[in-house]
Amino acid sequence: MAHLKTALTGYVSYRGREGQWAFLLHRISGLGTGLFLTIHIVDIALVYFAPQLFLEVLQLYRSTLFGIGEIFLVFCVFYHGVNGLRIALFDLKAAQRWNIPTARGSARLVLIIALVLWLPCAVWMLRSLLLHNFGLFQ
Amino acid sequence: MKRTLRIFRFHPEQDTRPHYATYSLEVQPTDRVLDLLEQVRAEYDPGLAYRRSCAHGVCGSDAMRINGRNALACKVLVQDLSTPVVTIEPLLGLPLIKDLVVDMEPFFAHYRAVLPYLINDEPLPADGRERLQTAAERDRFDETTRCILCAACTTSCPSFWANGQYLGPAALVTAHRFLFDSRDRAAPQRLQILSARSGVWLCRTAFNCTEACPREIHITRAIAEIKQSILKGRPAV
Ligand code: SF4
Ligand code: FES
Repeated sequence: MAHLKTALTGYVSYRGREGQWAFLLHRISGLGTGLFLTIHIVDIALVYFAPQLFLEVLQLYRSTLFGIGEIFLVFCVFYHGVNGLRIALFDLKAAQRWNIPTARGSARLVLIIALVLWLPCAVWMLRSLLLHNFGLFQ
Repeated sequence: MKRTLRIFRFHPEQDTRPHYATYSLEVQPTDRVLDLLEQVRAEYDPGLAYRRSCAHGVCGSDAMRINGRNALACKVLVQDLSTPVVTIEPLLGLPLIKDLVVDMEPFFAHYRAVLPYLINDEPLPADGRERLQTAAERDRFDETTRCILCAACTTSCPSFWANGQYLGPAALVTAHRFLFDSRDRAAPQRLQILSARSGVWLCRTAFNCTEACPREIHITRAIAEIKQSILKGRPAV
């Protein structure tokens, strides 16, 4: 418990640089993706165990809130993947290149790459959400 | 010029919880934060507790959080700080004793755990004197000999905040220093300690350690070299 408090204090009050932000984003995006995977496995299992409930769950997925959640989920997947590659590359292949400029620069680059990958998907998903839930662009 | 110092205060016999006290000071741009603390002690409160010794960035006693970042109070100048109010807090993740003084024992326990000494039971060379090594062999671990055990790195590490069992960057820097010493013979033993649950794999490359190190040691690099050594089963030169 004491450690949780220390960790949370550090996360919010320690003025770390890009590396700390990348660490936090990696954690959050990992937790987000993990949570989604768990829910997904459970809901698909419903097809077998409770088909009626499965249909109701699908209805829930079509709600606006879930639609917005899914858009962020896609960002989490992209960010977690690209940042994971960055860390693996440095740690396992190019340890010699770990220095302050490369660490800061690569953390920024990863964020840019993740955003560039995510934006077209986000636009497309948002469009589909507005189309199906609000009848826009008909 | 004027500066306000906002200091984390806690007196274990009088306070139930810590608080912040502010002191306004007349300072020079070239004053060190350590000078400001001395000034507070001289002008306001002789009871203010903090550690210091050399005042020249050599002994490693005065690491603390200065405006939210770990640094040695004797190496940060007033002109390096952009804010009119300077906040000073103790290192995070070690038990608080009083004001800016924390209990360093858990930190040193981790240091001892990595066997911070040369291990070589082979007979001495024929001349009975030194175990020689080439300049290149000495260079291999030169950087990690520079550590002054100030704990700025370990207490800036998110993994250490969350798990006090984690050996932490400082202990890993020392482990690196002996692992890559050509005269050392304990690599298998060292790699076993370093690959344990509290070892090197808890490093999540948040990089706060390298940013905080007053000796400019490439800590995350050293840790990555240990990771690669574990994967290869021997010091990965
Ligand atoms: S590695 Fe650097 S920050 Fe860490 S204890 Fe040694 S000198 Fe201090
Ligand atoms: S007082 Fe010795 S390092 Fe600052």
